[in-house]
Amino acid sequence: MSAATDRTQATPSGTPLLEVTDLAVEFRTPDGVVRAVDGLSYRVEAGRTLAIVGESGSGKSVSSLAVMGLLPDTARVTRGSVRLGGTDLLTLSRKEHRARCGDQVAMVFQDALAALNPVHTVGYQLTEALRARRGLSRGDARKRAVELLDLVKVPNAKARVKEYPHQFSGGMRQRVMIATALAMDPDVLIADEPTTALDVTVQAQVLRLLAEIQAERHMGLVLITHDLGVVAGVADDVTVMYAGRAVEQAPVVPVYTTPAHPYTRALLRSIPSAAGTGRLPVIPGRPPSPAAMPAGCPFHPRCDAVRDVCRTDVPPRATPAPGRMSACHFASDIMAGREPAPEAGVTASASGGSVPEPKGDPDD
Amino acid sequence: MTESRPAGAELVDERPAHGGSVLEVRDLVKHYPVRSGLLRRSAGAVKAVDGVSLTLDRGRTLGLVGESGSGKSTLARVLVGVETPTSGQVLVDGEDVTGRSRAGRKQLRRDVQMVFQDPYTSLNPRMSVSEIVGEPFAIHRIDPAGGRRAAVGELLELVGLDPDHANRYPHQFSGGQRQRVGIARALALRPKILVCDEPVSALDVSVQGQVINLLEDLQEELGLSYLFVAHDLGVVRHIAHDVAVMYLGRIVEQGPEADVYGAARHPYTQALLSAVPVPDPSVRLVAPTVVEPSPVEPPLVEPVDPSLVEPVETRIQTGEKRPGIGGIVLEGDPPSPVDPPSGCPFHTRCWLAPTLPEARGEAAASSTKGSETESAGPVVPDRGLRLVPSVCETEVPALVTRGAAPDHVAACHFARELAAPGAGA
Repeated sequence: MSAATDRTQATPSGTPLLEVTDLAVEFRTPDGVVRAVDGLSYRVEAGRTLAIVGESGSGKSVSSLAVMGLLPDTARVTRGSVRLGGTDLLTLSRKEHRARCGDQVAMVFQDALAALNPVHTVGYQLTEALRARRGLSRGDARKRAVELLDLVKVPNAKARVKEYPHQFSGGMRQRVMIATALAMDPDVLIADEPTTALDVTVQAQVLRLLAEIQAERHMGLVLITHDLGVVAGVADDVTVMYAGRAVEQAPVVPVYTTPAHPYTRALLRSIPSAAGTGRLPVIPGRPPSPAAMPAGCPFHPRCDAVRDVCRTDVPPRATPAPGRMSACHFASDIMAGREPAPEAGVTASASGGSVPEPKGDPDD
Repeated sequence: MTESRPAGAELVDERPAHGGSVLEVRDLVKHYPVRSGLLRRSAGAVKAVDGVSLTLDRGRTLGLVGESGSGKSTLARVLVGVETPTSGQVLVDGEDVTGRSRAGRKQLRRDVQMVFQDPYTSLNPRMSVSEIVGEPFAIHRIDPAGGRRAAVGELLELVGLDPDHANRYPHQFSGGQRQRVGIARALALRPKILVCDEPVSALDVSVQGQVINLLEDLQEELGLSYLFVAHDLGVVRHIAHDVAVMYLGRIVEQGPEADVYGAARHPYTQALLSAVPVPDPSVRLVAPTVVEPSPVEPPLVEPVDPSLVEPVETRIQTGEKRPGIGGIVLEGDPPSPVDPPSGCPFHTRCWLAPTLPEARGEAAASSTKGSETESAGPVVPDRGLRLVPSVCETEVPALVTRGAAPDHVAACHFARELAAPGAGA
C-alpha cells in the first residue's frame, strides 16, 4: 500500500540509500551571495550508478561536498535535505554529519596526487580512518591495507603499502584513492571526476574496476563527470546539471536517444566524433556566472528553441514521460524532436508545475 | 622535382615528391640524460622521442595522439624550437631548421607557432590582452602595416573577440576566450604552421567545439597547417586529415584519418580506440545494472512511441560498428621511457601477441588457451609469465604499409593478423 502511495508521488518504491531533496547551496563572495546549487534532488539506490553530468560551475561538485558535509566555511546550505538511511544529515551538527558520512558514504576525488598526503605511506593513509574510527592495531591495519590494495588490483600489494604516493602512477594512485574510500565499507561511493586526469586506456581500467566493486558490494555509486562518453558507458541513471540546477533526470538510454532538455540535446550534438566532418554544432556563448544568473530559464540565452516564456518564467520540473524529469517549458516537444510552437506552448506546459505528459498532444 | 628553393637546395633534391609538404620530420630523436649520484654521471636517458618521421602537408592537419608519456608534447616542443633535438632533422618548407643558432630559431618561430594547452597559465596575468597579442611584434621588431594597435585589433577580430576588450586582462576572460587570445598571439607573425598542444582539453565540452570550429575556419582562411597534439581521439578525428599514433617515443601507426580510425592496424591503436568512451548507451563498458529491489521508475521505457519521435540528430544513433568500449582493456601502465622494452615497445602490454600461435611456439601451449575466452583478451596476472612471439621481444618492428592503402603504415610484426578481423573495428 505504501508502495502505491509512493508511486503517486512519482517516486520509486525501493528505499534509496541516499536521497537528496531540493538542495540549495550559497556562497558568500566579495560580490555578494551567489547560489551555486539551486533545488537539486536525486536518489541513489543500492547497486545502481547515478551519473551527475555538467560543465565546470554547474554545481555538480559543490552538491556532493554538501552531501558529505565538506563545504568550505564560505558556503551554506540554505534549503533541502540529505537523507541517509532515514536521517536528514543536514539537521545534524557538522561533526555528527561527517561521522555518519564517514561510516556510510565515501568520496573519491579527481586529483589523487593532491588528495593523498605525500609524506605518509600509502598503507598509512589507507587505514587512517580504520585506526581512528575502529581502533585497529598497527599490525591489523597493515594487513587490512594489503587487502584493500589487492581489492583494487594493485599488483604486489604487500610491498607497495610501504611506498609513498609519488611512487605510484596516475592510474595506480586513483586505485589507492578508491581503496581508501572503500576502507570503511561504505554503502554509497561518490566519485568526483575519478578518471578525468587519466589516459583513456587507464580510464577504462579504473571504470571497470569501480563497476566490479560496486556490483560485488551492491553499493550505490554517484559518478560526477563532464564526459558524456563515460556516462553512457557506466551509468544507470543520469542527472544533467546546468547553472546549479538539474535540468534533466532520466534513465541513461532515453537521455541519449530522446533528450528532453535542449541543453542535453545540444551537449550531445557538440561531441566531436565519427561521422562528423564539417562544422561542429556548438552551443553559443558560455555558462552564466552564478553572480549574474539570467531571468527565467538559466539556459535561455544559449538555447536554440527559446520562446518568450523562457525569458521570464523559470521552467517547472516537467515530467514528459514516466520516470523522466526535464526543467524545460517545452520538455515534451523537445523529447519528441518537435520544434516548440511559436507561442502556443506557454499555456500548455507552464501551468501547474509538473504535468504528466500534456494530455492533448495532437501530434499525428 | 623542379621545385626551386633558394636555400638548402641539396636537401630539396633528396626530398620525395612531397611538393605539398610544409613540415617534414626525419628520424627525430630527443633524449634527456638522467644523471645520478654525486658526480652527476649520466645514467641513461629518457627516450622521449625516439626516431620519429612525419610529414605535414600544406593546409592540412596532422593529428598526433598518444597517452601521457608517449612523447607527443616533447615532439611538439622540438618542432617549435623550444627544445633542440638530440639528432634528426626538421624541415620547414624544405629547409633544415635543426642546429640553428639562437637567432635562427627565432627566425623559425615566424613560421612555426604554438598554441598551448592551458589558457590559464600560458597567458601572463600582468599583461593586457593587447600586450600579449602584440608581444610577438615587439620581440621580432616588426612594425605591422597600420600600426601595432590596429594589427592587434584585427587579430582579435579574427579569433572572434571584441577588439574593444584589448585593454582587459586575462582573468577577465573565460577559458574559451583565453584560448582565443592564445591563438591570436600565435597568429600575429602570420606563421605557416601552428603546433597546437592539447588546445581544447582544458575547456568545457560546450566551449571546445567553438574553439575547434575557429581553428578550422582559420585554416581555411589563412591556409594554415596544423600539427594537432591531443589525447582526445574524438577531437582529433574531427579536425585531422591524417593521424599519427605515438607510443613510448615512437610512431606505431600513421595514415589518413579514415584509415586509422576505420581500420586500425596496430594493436595499440585498436586498444586506444576501444577504450574511448562513446556517448552511446548501447555500447556499455559495464552491463546495465539489473535492479531487483526497485520494480519502479519504469526503468528504460521507450518514452514515446518511437515512430513519433524524430531521432535527435546526435551521431550516436548511426549504429556505427565498433568493437565496443572496453572491448580491449590494456593491462597496466605504459612502461618508463627511461628503460623501454626491447623489441617492439608495446609487447609488454600487447593484447594480441600472447594470442598468436607464434607465442606458444616453444613453450608448448601452457595455459594461454583459457585466457583468450574473455573479451579483455589475455588476462595475465604476472607479466613475467606472458608469452609473446620472440620476434616481438627482439626486433623493433618497422613502420610498413600493408594492404591497399599506401599511406597507412603500422609498426607491428603481426599487422597482417589485424588487417582482417580488425578491419571492421
